[in-house]
Amino acid sequence: MAKILEGPAMKLFNKWGIPVPNYVVIMDPDRLAQLGEANKWLRESKLVVKAHEAIGGRFKLGLVKLGLNLDEAYEAAKEMIGRQIGTSVVRQVIVAEMLDHDEEYYLSIAGNRDGSELLLSNRGGVDIEDNWDTVKRLVIPLDETPSIEAITEAALQAGFVGEIAERVAKIASRLILCFDNEDAQSIEINPLVIRKSDMRFAALDAVMNVDWDARFRHADWDFKPVSEIGRSYTEAEQQIMDIDARIKGSVKLVEVPGGNIALLTAGGGASVFYSDAVVARGGSIANYAEYSGDPPDWAVEALTETICRLPNIKHIIVGGAIANFTDVKATFSGIINGFRESKSKGYLENVQIWVRRGGPNENQGLAAMKKLQEEGFEIHVYDRSMPMTDIVDLALNS
Amino acid sequence: MSIIANKDTRAVIIGGIAGLNAARRMAQFDFLINRPLTVQAFVYPPEEGQQKEIYRGGELNNVTVYSSLEKALEENPQINTALIYIGASRAYQSAKEALDAKGIKLVTMITEGVPEKDAKRLRKYAIETGKIFNGPSSIGIMSAGECRLGVIGGEFKNLKLCNLYRPGSFGVITKSGGLSNEAMWLCAQNGNGITSAVAIGGDSYPGTDFVTYLNMFENDPETKAVVIVGEVGGTLEEEAAEWLGKEIRRIKVIASIGGTCQDVLPQGMKFGHAGAKEGKKGLGSARSKINALRAAGAVVPDTFGGLSKAIKQVYEELLQTGVIKPEAELDEKLLPALPPSVQEVMKQGDVIVEPLIRTTISDDRGEEPRYVGYAASELCEKGYGIEDVIGLLWNKKLPTKEESEIIKRIIMISADHGPAVSGAFGSIIAACAGIDLPQAVSAGMTMIGPRFGGAVTNAGKYFKYGVKEYPNDIPGFLNWMKQNVGPVPGIGHRVKSVKNPDKRVKYLVDYVTNQTSLHTPCLDYALQVEKITTAKKDNLILNVDGTIGCILVDLDFPEYSLNGFFVLARTIGMIGHWIDQNNQNSRLIRLYDYLINYAVKEEREVPEKKQTT
Repeated sequence: MAKILEGPAMKLFNKWGIPVPNYVVIMDPDRLAQLGEANKWLRESKLVVKAHEAIGGRFKLGLVKLGLNLDEAYEAAKEMIGRQIGTSVVRQVIVAEMLDHDEEYYLSIAGNRDGSELLLSNRGGVDIEDNWDTVKRLVIPLDETPSIEAITEAALQAGFVGEIAERVAKIASRLILCFDNEDAQSIEINPLVIRKSDMRFAALDAVMNVDWDARFRHADWDFKPVSEIGRSYTEAEQQIMDIDARIKGSVKLVEVPGGNIALLTAGGGASVFYSDAVVARGGSIANYAEYSGDPPDWAVEALTETICRLPNIKHIIVGGAIANFTDVKATFSGIINGFRESKSKGYLENVQIWVRRGGPNENQGLAAMKKLQEEGFEIHVYDRSMPMTDIVDLALNS
Repeated sequence: MSIIANKDTRAVIIGGIAGLNAARRMAQFDFLINRPLTVQAFVYPPEEGQQKEIYRGGELNNVTVYSSLEKALEENPQINTALIYIGASRAYQSAKEALDAKGIKLVTMITEGVPEKDAKRLRKYAIETGKIFNGPSSIGIMSAGECRLGVIGGEFKNLKLCNLYRPGSFGVITKSGGLSNEAMWLCAQNGNGITSAVAIGGDSYPGTDFVTYLNMFENDPETKAVVIVGEVGGTLEEEAAEWLGKEIRRIKVIASIGGTCQDVLPQGMKFGHAGAKEGKKGLGSARSKINALRAAGAVVPDTFGGLSKAIKQVYEELLQTGVIKPEAELDEKLLPALPPSVQEVMKQGDVIVEPLIRTTISDDRGEEPRYVGYAASELCEKGYGIEDVIGLLWNKKLPTKEESEIIKRIIMISADHGPAVSGAFGSIIAACAGIDLPQAVSAGMTMIGPRFGGAVTNAGKYFKYGVKEYPNDIPGFLNWMKQNVGPVPGIGHRVKSVKNPDKRVKYLVDYVTNQTSLHTPCLDYALQVEKITTAKKDNLILNVDGTIGCILVDLDFPEYSLNGFFVLARTIGMIGHWIDQNNQNSRLIRLYDYLINYAVKEEREVPEKKQTT
C-alpha cells in the first residue's frame, strides 16, 4: 500500500483523461509569481492553496486556504512553506484553480480479491459519509472492462440524469483505465465537481494508493509514496528505512511516543504478536520493530542502538519465533554489539532485557546473549521451550 | 497422511541462488526421512546447462539447470510441483507457465514483493485450471515424514526437534513464514506433531487461503486438529470462521490472530506483511477475526504464548476421546545425523587428511599475511623494505642492511634496458595489439631464457661450482667448462670489452667490494676467471648477468632462485612499456616488407590433389 500525494495523482489523472483543475506544485513562493505571468488561469481564477504533504487534518491546521487571488495565494504559500507541524515540515504547496461549481459528486474504485469495485454517488463532498446508502456499486471482475453502457446504467441508478450521467460514466471508464494500468489499489475522487454552464468537470480532490511493488513496470512514476503512518517519519525511522533499502532482508521501526516497553523482535508475523501481547497485558509499547530475512548483523546492530535510545523505556523484548533461515548467532551478535555500544554511551540504565528465540545456531546465539549477564546487563534469556510471547508476561510481572 | 505435498512430490525450482539454497535444505529433509531427492531440476536461463551439486546426506547429486520449464519437464516428466524463487518482476510469467504445464499440479511461490494484480491473476488462473497456487511470499509447505517444499522447518536439528520425520495429528496454516516453524514446534512440544504445514504468505491476495487447506485437512483422516495463525487485514480469517461454523467439522480448530495492538499504534500503520493493514469499519481487524473464530467454535487464546496451552489441551482431549491413539515414540538417536563437512570433522580432530600441497613461506589464514611467520604490517612498521620481503619469501632469511642495499641496486640496474631487447619488445608488440597488461607482460616474460636474461642462474651456478671444485685452478675450471658446458655463462659481451667496460658491472663490483663488508668468494673467483679469458679475447669480460649471479651466490640465495631477480626487475620495465604504449594509444605493429627477406618459392599453380602415392 503506497499512498501518493495529490500532485502525482493529478498527473496520473491527466495522463488517463480524467479532468482535473489547473494546478501547480511549488517549493518557493516566488515561483508562483513567475508562473502567474505565464498562466492566465492563475491571474484570473479563484485559487486554493494546500500544503502538499502527508499531514492529516490540514484544514484545521490552516494548511488549506480557499478563494484566493494570485497575491493572496502568494502570501498563503509564503506562510505555509517552512511551517513545522509536529515532526513534519511543509516543503511544498499545491496551488489549484478553485472551480466555481454547481454540484459535487463522489467517484471511487478499490481493488479486492476478485477484481475491483466502482462506487458512484451524486451526493459527494463532505456529506458523503452521511449519504453512504446512496452509493451505487459496480462490481468489475479481474481483467474485465465494463462497457460504457453498463457504467452509464450504474450512473443512472446512482441518480445521475441525462447528459451528466453519460459524462460521469465516461469519466468513470477513464478512472477504471487509470486504476488498471497504474497498478492502483484504490482511487477516491471526492468531490468530482461540475460547472453546468459549460458542463466542465474536475476532480477537485483525490486520494490514490498505488501498489509500490509494481514500480518496476512504471518508468514514469517519479514520485515517492508518502508516509504510511499518518505522520511524517522521525529521523530515527528514516535512518532505519535507509538501511532497510540497502540490505538483504529487512529492518523496520515505528516509534510510539509515551510507551515504556521497547520491542526488538524478529519476523513480520511474530513481531505483531509481541506488540499484541504487551497491549493485552496492559503494557504500553514504545515502538514497533522487526528484523527478518537474515539481515546483516550491522543492520540489526543499528536497529538495536536506535531502540536503546528510546526515552523512558523499562524493558526491551528481544523476541522471535523459531527462525527458518535467519541466523540467530549472527543477528544476535549485532544485537549484543548494539547493547554494549549503548551501555557505554550511558543508555540501558535500569532497563531489563528479555530474550526468547530459536532457529539456526540458536545455542550459540543464546549463550552469547546470556554472557551479557557477566557484563552487568539485566538480561533474561530463554530458549524455544519458553512460549513465544510469555517473556512479555514475565517482563510485565517483574 | 498429508495434504498437497507427499512422498510422490517431485519439484522443479524456478530461480537462482535462493532456489539452490532451498534445494540444499530440502535435500537434508530427503535424507532425514530417506526419500528420493525432491528437487529434480532447476529453471534459470542465465545458468543453462550447469549442474548444481546437491548433497542428500553423503550422497552427491547433480541437478541440471534448464533454460525453460518446457525443456525441464520434457526431460523430467515425473515433476509435478513448481517452486517459484525468481525475482518479482518475472514471477508472474514463470508461475503462469508452470500453471500451464500439463504435469504440474502445485505451484508455490516464495518470491516476495509481487504486485497484487499479478497475484490476483494467478489465483484466478489456478482456479480456472483446477490447480493449486500457493503464495506469493510463502516460506513453503511441509508434510511430516513425506516432503518438504522450501526452507520451512529451518535447520536440520530443528527438523528433528519438531518431529518432522514422522506424521502427527495436527495441521498448520499460517500467513507468516517464521510462525509456521513456531507452530510446528508447538505441535511437537505440546502434541504429537504435524501432518502438514502450509504457509500461505502474508500478502493481501494469496493464491490459496485458510479455507482451501481447511477443506483438505478435513478430508485427511490423519489430521485431527488444525492450528491457524492469521493476522489483521483482509477477510481470510473471517472466511475460515464461516467455514468452521457452517456445519459440524471433524477437525478441531485452534487459532491465534495478530494485530490486536492496532488500536494503540499510529493509524494506518503497516506491519511486517503487505497484507496486514487495517480493515474498514472493523471488518479485517484482529478483534473481528478473533470474535468470528471464537463464535464458530475455534479455540483462540488471548496471546500467541497461550497457543502452547491450547494445543496441549486439545491434544489431551483427543487422546482421552480416543481420536488420537498414543504411539510409541521413535528413539531420536536412531535418526540419521547429517554428515558433517571435512572442515567440521577436522575441527573436532576426528579425521586425518593428507595435505595436497605444503608451504614453508607464507600464511594468510589469520588477520593478515605472515611471511615466514612475520606479520606484513609489523615488517612495514619496523622499517623493513621490499628487499626484506624478497629475502624472506625466496630465501627465508631477513637480509642485513648491507645486503638489502645490494639487492636493491641489483633490481634497480636491471629494471629495464630499453625497448629493443627481446623482453621489452615482446611486451610492446602485445601492447600495440591491444593485449591487456598481465598477458602483455607475460609475452615479454616468455622471452627470458638461454639467450636473453636467463644467464644469471647458470653464471651463479658454475662460478659456485668453480669455487668449490677448482678453488686455485682457474685453467682447470675453464677446461672442465669447455668439456662439459661450453662457453662460460656470465662471461662475454657483444659490444663491451676491456677497453669499453660495462659501467653497470664496474659500479656493482666497486660498490660490493669497497662499500660493503660482504665476503665475496664467488665474485672474486669470477674476476680471476675474467683476467684469464680477457687475455685470450678482449670482449670475454665478466658481464652483468655473471656479476649479479656471483653476488647473489655470495648473498647466499639458492642458485635456482637467481633468475628470479632478473624476472622481478624486468617486470617493472615491461609494465612500464605496456603503460607507455597505452598512454600513446599505439597502433598495431606490422613488419614492413623491407625488413623481411621473403626467401620463398615464386608464385605457382596449385596441382590437383593426388589420390594415391
